Amino acid sequence: MTAMLVRRLLQVPLILLVIYTVTFTLAWWLPGNPLDKPEGRRPDPAVQDAMKAQYNLDDPLKFYVSYLDQASGVAWLRGDSRKVFNLGPCLQYEDWSVNELIGGALPVSIVLGMVALVFALAIGLVSGIIGAVRPGSWMDVATLLVALVGISLPSFVIGTALLIVFAVWFEFVHVAHWGSPRDLILPALTLSLPFAAYIARLTRLGMIDVLQSDFIRTARAKGVSETRIVLRHALKVAFLPVLSYLGPAAAYVMTGSFVVEKVFNVPGLGQHFVNSVLNKDLFVIMGIVLTYSTMLVLFNLAVDVMYRWVDPRIQLA
Amino acid sequence: MRSVAPILMLIALVVGAVLLDRPQPVADLTFINRGEVHSLDPQRMSWLQDFRIADAIYEGLVDYDNDTFEIVPGVAQTWEVSPDGLTYTFHLRDTAKWSNGDPVTAEDFAYSWRRALFPDTVAGYADLFFKIKGGRAFFDWRTAQLETFTAQAAPLSGPERLKLAQAMLDEALARYEQTVGIKALDAHTLAVTLEVPTPYMLDLLAFGPFKPVHRPTVEPYVKLDAATGALRQHHGWTKPPHLVSNGPYILAVWRYMRDLRMERNPYYWNARAVKSDSVLCIAVEDANTAVLAYETGTIDWLSDVGVDYRADMLAQKQKYMDRNAARYDELRAQGLGYNEAMAVLAEESPPQPGERNDIHAFAAYGTYFYNFNCQPTLNSGAFNPFKDARIRRAFARAVDKSAIVERVTRMNQPVANVLIPPGSIAGFEGAKGIGYDPAKAREELAGAGWEDRNGDGFIEDASGQLFPTVEILFPSVAEHKSIAQAIAHMWERQLGVKCRLREEETKVQATHLQEHDFMVARGNWYGDYGDPTTFLDLHRTGNSNNDRNYSNPAFDELMDRADRELDPEKRMLLLEQADAMTINEELPLLPLFHQVTLYMYDPAELRNVSTHPRLTQFLWEMEVVK
Repeated sequence: MTAMLVRRLLQVPLILLVIYTVTFTLAWWLPGNPLDKPEGRRPDPAVQDAMKAQYNLDDPLKFYVSYLDQASGVAWLRGDSRKVFNLGPCLQYEDWSVNELIGGALPVSIVLGMVALVFALAIGLVSGIIGAVRPGSWMDVATLLVALVGISLPSFVIGTALLIVFAVWFEFVHVAHWGSPRDLILPALTLSLPFAAYIARLTRLGMIDVLQSDFIRTARAKGVSETRIVLRHALKVAFLPVLSYLGPAAAYVMTGSFVVEKVFNVPGLGQHFVNSVLNKDLFVIMGIVLTYSTMLVLFNLAVDVMYRWVDPRIQLA
Repeated sequence: MRSVAPILMLIALVVGAVLLDRPQPVADLTFINRGEVHSLDPQRMSWLQDFRIADAIYEGLVDYDNDTFEIVPGVAQTWEVSPDGLTYTFHLRDTAKWSNGDPVTAEDFAYSWRRALFPDTVAGYADLFFKIKGGRAFFDWRTAQLETFTAQAAPLSGPERLKLAQAMLDEALARYEQTVGIKALDAHTLAVTLEVPTPYMLDLLAFGPFKPVHRPTVEPYVKLDAATGALRQHHGWTKPPHLVSNGPYILAVWRYMRDLRMERNPYYWNARAVKSDSVLCIAVEDANTAVLAYETGTIDWLSDVGVDYRADMLAQKQKYMDRNAARYDELRAQGLGYNEAMAVLAEESPPQPGERNDIHAFAAYGTYFYNFNCQPTLNSGAFNPFKDARIRRAFARAVDKSAIVERVTRMNQPVANVLIPPGSIAGFEGAKGIGYDPAKAREELAGAGWEDRNGDGFIEDASGQLFPTVEILFPSVAEHKSIAQAIAHMWERQLGVKCRLREEETKVQATHLQEHDFMVARGNWYGDYGDPTTFLDLHRTGNSNNDRNYSNPAFDELMDRADRELDPEKRMLLLEQADAMTINEELPLLPLFHQVTLYMYDPAELRNVSTHPRLTQFLWEMEVVK
């Protein structure tokens, strides 16, 4: 187990270096000048050149090496930088560094993602179990319908509809307001629906399978109550596929909530990521890609470890 | 219960995280800016939303009056201009203080403007400072000096490089002192000498980039860079609690893409003029969410309305105005301004279903136009029909602009035949430009040798060569696309040419504009200061915003003469001549309509919104009455 962990952790920098190189190549060749203000006035040519040179935007190799040096922590180890991981300045929003930007937005995205994951699990597990216990009943059909809606309707439709109902009609939440627990509910719910739907289907299928197996029949014969059978014995086995889905799902809800963040005006990282590409803001693109990929790699590792802990029969390579 | 453990952990984490994050308390005035603020360093800012905040937290030597745009005293109590118009002497009030209690001195202004004139700072508006004597020469000299650094520093070690950079900096500072016309004569007297008389200099001084910074706050963030030898500006100081400013407000909170909160500056000398104790600006990216935020009362003022809402909301406003037209005219005749009249109307006659009185369209200091590429050939080397002014005029005459504002944008912007919005600059009588006249358009085309000779509906030259397909470049935004389609259709129908639309992603399009890589392209310009040159400079040979690559020695000569002219009236006459030359005869660009800015606010609740075309809103003058 420890050897596996060490080996996997050692792979992380290598994976990140490859991701960095590929992203850099793609981002550098994006057409358009990152310092340009499309609707604005262009400074004097001499000023424009000075702007480019300041950020090494006139030389790809210099940019690649110096960014890697700062972002990887090498410059810090040498004592040339006060920050361990210096992800550089924002080109469009000049008063901010990428570190500040990610530091402010990532916690928001993570909180939103986690709440959404809790919602997804709650909704998914409950409706999955109901469906499995009474397959074909009206409740099964109803949960199936909810799952269908959750998977097929895009989140900007669900989000806007929820906003109009709960913010405009019932005035239960404020529009474009962030900071109180209540503000989390609608965006988290919107974000959770597709995942809830998937978890519901996974749980239902797993449960139906498990409920027909021999050990459940034995338990019933022993006189164990039906509730205990479902929640204690069957769910434990049926939960395994859900758990393995949680790793990628966690990474996805915490990083891929761009639309939801936009509709509910959540100050998370997803918006910054999309804007940075539109602005061709190299430092922000690289910074966010590196942060996201680090998270993704670590989540997958965490799920693998947890998987083994839940079911010790599993061997990890 | 091992399988439930991850879920319990997750819930515990969520509860903890939610408890840590607290929302902002309510503010006296809450609004949504045009976009996120890019920088609060006055010398480096260049966006409208940044200037709006700068006007609230910094105060320049002089200020505009929000209604008339006349110059009023700011930090400077009085000033004199020398008879030759070259030297301005400002006397600073001794009550002006920074938000930490320090006095605002002439030295503060001298320091701030020096930052702009050092190329190291990469100030976007550095060229406005080139009006000051020796400014341009110093900027170029320092740029050249820094270029020699890399070669000189190549064999040196780290500390030695820094020593070299310091030596260069000392040399530059000494040179600056000798050659640049900014002198702090004593703590409260500042003398500024100009390169040429600039009648709008005071107007410039009220503009964002000329506002002062607090030197002891900024200095610790300025470091010499061993790699380039330049002074590097770091930006931690623009954020609370570091930022020290001298305007009506201080910055209390600023969180990127989230919110920016300002509170009354206790040391501001003119505190009585400040209406609201606190102002909160929230960042909202999504246009729908922004409108919903206004509708549900989260904000008092929305400073830009999403494209999808504009036409319908304006129609609802029109319904309201039509119903109340007589009363509105009566109120205006009594001398009430637009806002006061709307406030009275709101009391007397609240909007009925299907009507609204809270959207407001104000003429802005800008124009939407189409660029003609004026180069002898296109970048590809191909024949460029638009090098010929007759053809440019013909294409301009073939566009029915009122059809565009009525049926395409559906916003009824004022139709533009000129670049400079009429009446926006006092003392300037602009040319009339040329309007819609398809018959005259065909005549001019025929005069240039292009007419339909074989009756196929398309125009040819004498040798039978078809007119080149006209390619229209525009950014990939729905409103620009519909306008481009309408114009292509008009040209095809009226002139017998073929058009092709070239839609490109905004930034890509901007690059191609700058490289003059287009035939006809959508363009846009807002003036920065109250003088015709803020528009006319666009046509000067080699200007960095001359996307058309228009070059006309006669025009340049007129502009140079205007620069040297000491008599303000004669100078305006020269500028009027230059304006007439470009907009009646030469047409490097085809004006379509003057820009309109849309605001949403309840006229009964929000007071003191400026309706002036320059649309510089002073947040400290605005007031919410509920």
